[in-house]
Amino acid sequence: MIEYRAAVKRFGVQTAVDAITVSIGRGEAVALLGPNGSGKTTTLKMAAGLIRPDAGDVLVGEPAFRPWEPSARRVLSYLPQRVAFPEALTGREIVEFYRRLRGIPAERSQAVLKFASLNGAGERAVGTYSGGMVQRLGLAVAMLPEADLLLLDEPTAALDPDGLRAFYALVEQRQAAGRTIFFTSHQVGDVERLADRFLVLANGRLVAELSQAALRDCLAARGTMRVRLDRDTPGLLEAIRRIAPSASRVGDEIVIAGAASLRPQVLDLVRSSGAQIRGLVAEDGRLEALYRELVARGAEHTE
Amino acid sequence: MAGESVRTLILCARQEMLLAARSRWTQLFAVVFAGLSLAVASSGYILSGGSGLQDFARTAASLVQLVLLLVPLTSLVMGVLALTPERGGAEILYAQPIARPILLLGTLIGLFEALVAAEALGFGVAGLVIFARTGSDGLAGFAMVAAGSAVLTAVFLAIAALVSVGQHGRKRVRALAIALVTWFALALLFDVAVLAAASLLRSGHASRLLISSVLVNPIDAVRTASLLAIEGTGAFGAGSLALLRFTGGPGGAALLIALSLSLWIVVPTWTAMRRLARMDIA
Repeated sequence: MIEYRAAVKRFGVQTAVDAITVSIGRGEAVALLGPNGSGKTTTLKMAAGLIRPDAGDVLVGEPAFRPWEPSARRVLSYLPQRVAFPEALTGREIVEFYRRLRGIPAERSQAVLKFASLNGAGERAVGTYSGGMVQRLGLAVAMLPEADLLLLDEPTAALDPDGLRAFYALVEQRQAAGRTIFFTSHQVGDVERLADRFLVLANGRLVAELSQAALRDCLAARGTMRVRLDRDTPGLLEAIRRIAPSASRVGDEIVIAGAASLRPQVLDLVRSSGAQIRGLVAEDGRLEALYRELVARGAEHTE
Repeated sequence: MAGESVRTLILCARQEMLLAARSRWTQLFAVVFAGLSLAVASSGYILSGGSGLQDFARTAASLVQLVLLLVPLTSLVMGVLALTPERGGAEILYAQPIARPILLLGTLIGLFEALVAAEALGFGVAGLVIFARTGSDGLAGFAMVAAGSAVLTAVFLAIAALVSVGQHGRKRVRALAIALVTWFALALLFDVAVLAAASLLRSGHASRLLISSVLVNPIDAVRTASLLAIEGTGAFGAGSLALLRFTGGPGGAALLIALSLSLWIVVPTWTAMRRLARMDIA
């Protein structure tokens, strides 16, 4: 459904996307991850036909066409990172304009306005909308066509909990219908919930490709568990360090960084020490930390 | 395919008309233009020692200067504001399966309709009052000034398109600055510079420069055509007279002016469409 063939994009002396080669098949939901400035938006815009590669090629659809040909863009719908619409128009007028532009049946307008929870605000001028509402309107416009390919650039960045629920419902409905979804996000919740596969970009290069299970393992392995006990038990920290060498005491907490698989054993040790657990927090690792590792690893490979 | 393009053009034009009609800038322009047109209709006669309203011919002659200053400025500013959308707005629009030139052309047509409607309101209000008080003498010249105003609108919207292409988001300020400099150069600076240069040249070269100046600057071209329609060569400047002598009469001059203005509409619009079709929306 999308194919990047050694696609390169430069802006002046800066290489935004550096020879990316990847294929995304029909029905896949793929998340494009990476730190700010890693080339995610440019990669997505090349598939949306907004940016042409300087070298290599980008193809979308089946049969495959270059997306900068207007007719090729019939297969796709794109939601930019920052959405903006004319402030003097109402939400409904904007949805209607895009509906007519793409020749979509009239009943879709009402459906997407309802889905995007804008039913009540559809008759109001966009100038009166909050940032989250404008984002939801953008989502409504992107969801108007039953496009085979959805390209979403940080779609949940400005959404409130209601907007987020509506977004997940819309995307999951498309996934169930076998559509292809290619999106960028900084939210672990989005990527874990929606994506089957993850591409990690750093400095415009594809540095990793992970399945959902692999990403979950990666993040869990970089997680932290904090245990707060009712009293200081002699020898407990040393016992924990024998299975988790990085364990340390921070204030009244024992902090254990590292693999999630060690956590049950640590808790067994705590229980057997006779201390009472007053507080327990277990967190997975953050995407940013994973990016840093992957970037460093990528740099090593390059050297 | 052609039918689909026409449908898209109409849709974009309607959308832009709606936006322009709701824009405070358009509303302000309509009110100011109507007010100034009425003021012009009332003022000249009083200043010349008479009283009441001027007839169509006198009003038209007085309105020419107002049109030559206000219409290019408004068309440029409105054009740039409409054609430099916020960053996310351009991206979502240009990712649709529609050729970008069609979207641009539709927007230009809608803007043209909205601005010409605002100008028509000004001419209409003044025209109705004059007609009621002084009759229809000189109506043709008045209509020519109105037509010239519409042509100037088209020319400066085309220039606005050229200036605005790819300047969405934060680059809008730069496009506005370029538009204002363009207006200043063509509406205010050009004639002074040409006359100064002509005074330094020999007669033959000076004459050629003056002829070229009328055809190169769309504002001068419309001024010459309007004055020719209203009161013949009586109010002509040096450039217009040189053009008339060169073409041997008003017919030839009108033809050359029409050609020049057509090129001023077509070339910037076509160039803007071509550039937009190829550029990255980064």
